[in-house]
Formats: sequence, C-alpha cells, structure tokens
Amino acid sequence: MISPIKIWRRQKEIRRILGKKGKILIWTKIFTPGADFKKYAPYPVILVELENKEKIYGQLVDYDEKDLKIGKKVISILRKVRSATEEGVIAYGVKFKPL
Amino acid sequence: MSNVIGYYTTQFGELWEKSLFDLVEEAIFGVLKQTKLENKQIDAVFFGNMLAGVLENNLHSPSKIAEILKINVPIYRAEAACASGGAAFNLAKNYLDANSNKNVLVIGAEKMTDYSPEETIMGLSSAASGEEQEAGLTFPGLYAMMANFYLQKYGYTEKNLAYVSVKNHFHGSLNDKAQYRRKITLENVLNSAYVAYPLKVLDSSPISDGASAVILTNDQETINKQKFSTTILASEVITDTISLKERKQIDEILATKNAADKAFKNAKISRSDIGIAEVHDCFSIAEILAMEDLGFWKKGEGGKKITEQSTMFGNGGDLIVNTSGGLKAAGHPVGATGIKQIGEIFLQLTGQAENRQVENIKYGLAQNVGGSGGTAVVTILAV
Repeated sequence: MISPIKIWRRQKEIRRILGKKGKILIWTKIFTPGADFKKYAPYPVILVELENKEKIYGQLVDYDEKDLKIGKKVISILRKVRSATEEGVIAYGVKFKPL
Repeated sequence: MSNVIGYYTTQFGELWEKSLFDLVEEAIFGVLKQTKLENKQIDAVFFGNMLAGVLENNLHSPSKIAEILKINVPIYRAEAACASGGAAFNLAKNYLDANSNKNVLVIGAEKMTDYSPEETIMGLSSAASGEEQEAGLTFPGLYAMMANFYLQKYGYTEKNLAYVSVKNHFHGSLNDKAQYRRKITLENVLNSAYVAYPLKVLDSSPISDGASAVILTNDQETINKQKFSTTILASEVITDTISLKERKQIDEILATKNAADKAFKNAKISRSDIGIAEVHDCFSIAEILAMEDLGFWKKGEGGKKITEQSTMFGNGGDLIVNTSGGLKAAGHPVGATGIKQIGEIFLQLTGQAENRQVENIKYGLAQNVGGSGGTAVVTILAV
C-alpha cells in the first residue's frame, strides 16, 4: 500500500536523480497495467543507463514511436507517477523524455 | 531418499463458486485418498501461496489448514511469488532430510479471480522491486523487456515466440484439468492484442484459481504400500536480485542456471537423461530462456529450436516439455503452479498421464520461477 510517509521518504531519493541524461537500454510498452496506472495506459517503460552508469527505470513521456529504440538519448524529469492516494497525496517520481 | 507417492490437483480456471480454502480442502483430501493415508499419518505440512495476504487480508493460513485437516502438527507457509509452490516442496524435502520416517503433505494454491484483473495485477506486482512498481512495470512488462532484448540480440521475431504457445495449448487440449483446452494457431497468437510489447495475450499465462497437492515420504513402510512412487533426486532453490536491472544478463535467468547445475550435480545424471520437463512458461519468452538456462539448448538458439517443435508431444523428440499445457494453457494459480509441475512429472514417470503419456522415460525435471527471476526452483524426479 502507498502511504504519505512512503511518498515523503521517496522524494529525497528522487531529487538526486532528476535532470540526468542517459540512454535507453531496453524498453516495453504496457497495455494492461495495474490499478494505479490504468489511466496512463498504454505507456512505455524504459530502463535507462545514466551517464554515471547508474540504471533507472521510468516511463517515457512526450515521445514519438520512433523514440522507442535502444540507445535513444533521454533526460529524467519530475512527473506524477500514480493516481492520488486516499489521503489525497499525489505521488511524484521520475519519468523520462526524449532528447 | 525421499519419494513423491501421490498427486492430486483441482481443476484450474475461473472457479467462482470456490474459495481459496475450498480449493485447498479439495486438494488435501484428494491426495490423501490417492495415497490411502489418514490425516493422522501426516507429520508436517508445507503450503505454497502468494496472494492471500495481499488480496484478501488472509494470512496465518497454516492454522486454517490445521482446522481443515484436524491435526496438530508443524504447518508452514512458503512465499516466493510464482515459485511459492516449488519453495514449499523444497522445504518439505529438506524437512524429510532432517527427520526420518515421516510423511509430509505439500499444497500449493491460489485464488486470483475474485478481483478485477487490475487489482490482481497490482497484487502480483508486489513481487517486483519498489522502483519497478513505481515505473508501472507489470510482470508482463518485465518479461516483455527480456523478450524485446532477446529478439533484438539474436535477430528473432514475435513469430518465434508464438511457437511456445501453440505447443502448450496443444498439450492443454490433452489435459482435462487445464484451464484452456483449445488448440491455437500461430496466426491466433500473432493476431492477439498486446499486453506489453512484444508480448501478446496469447504469449501470456492467464489469471487462474486452483490448488495442487503432493505427498512426500521417507518412510519405507509407507512407500512399500504405494502403487506409484518416484524418487526425489534433487530439489534446489537459488535466489537472485529482485530487480531485473541489477542482473548481469537480461536474457538469462541466473537463478535457473545455478539451480539446474546444482540439481544435475546432486542427481548425478546428465541433461540428456531427462525425458520430460515442466518449465515455467509464464510468458512465451520464459520457456525459451528456461530451455537455454537449464542447459537443454545453447544460449541464443532457443528462438530457432522452438520452431522445430521437437519438445511437442507426438513429434518423437527425446525431451517433451510442458505436457500439462504449461502455465500458458493449464493455467497459472501462482502458488499451485510449482506443485502442479512436479505432479505432472509424477504422473508421467508413473505412467498415469493417459492421453499425453510420454513413453520410455526415467527422469523428469520441473523448473519453477518467482518474479522476473529472483527465485528459481529446480526439481529432478526418477522412477
């Protein structure tokens, strides 16, 4: 379950990985999501290797189909990642957009 | 040496009239009847289940099983995502290694269709890393990443994957306990809707209800009274990182590879001795990777080998794979799957597999995977 405290704890980590450039290592596009992601579907999820070699998952947004390829350069951005919790707290997290 | 002496499985499918413990009860009394054992002759129970705690706020299942069985013995629940059944079997085997002259009951069960697909998918996602969950990566999504990588690396297409589903649906048509008994064509698979690109509905195992049970014993008197018995040559569990991104290779499940190496070493047999196998085809790509990681096929050759369909029943191959229909056609009630796989090997080795019986086999292998490869269980049985 998602709680406001978990969202708060996660925010500290997210700041560190925003605005980072990297390239797509693997990708897929999700057509059948879990309940929290239903309104975003279909959405691509990519595994990105940042310039410092760290690997991060995230959804790709503001993209064209041609951007879905291994090696495509992307940058990490802050976006809403789930529907709001029952307490009304919005979960923000990392997504990527093409460069 | 411990033996498997009986197997019972419920129907797999959308069983709306039955609860999780209705299914567990049917499996327990089914396997007791098969082996002509009384409840009081069971010395310990191991239960494989993943989702009851997440979906229906239903934990402390060992105590519920004690209530059903009306005995007071050690009962444990094992959870390793989709490898919960295999993990329960492994613990039962280890229990026998530590205790002589005992009979142990192993049950695997899952109730998945009481909820919407989105709710069940969310529940299944609990077996992925927090970061994978936050990115909206479902299990089909994780296997789709492996598939996409594999197809590009070795130059295969979605059609190569589709052969897995065609074979396993043919096998499912021969198994009256299977969820799907309909044969399908390559075109059916290729024309089905995407779940997570490049995997489609007909590349994917379904959401299912079901329970399966086996009885293990190391009591010679009990073995002597049984009509059917198989020896457990090896049961190995290996774990690996929960995140796909932390693995050294995306197109390899290292846990399977290491569990298989250990199992073959302990069983003192070679790959070519295995005549029948049940592998964890939660998605079509998973069967191809399993065949490679178990060492039956070379890495990268699986996409080509599967098109030859030598592992299909009736084609005269030396190794027939997933005669139960696999997870794809038999269904995938996640906690039950690992037990159903071992049960299918038991049926085959003891000549009880009826219209899908493979002839002249001495050794069988089951491979059960949890998550995207964070747990693998490899079991080898002999007759």
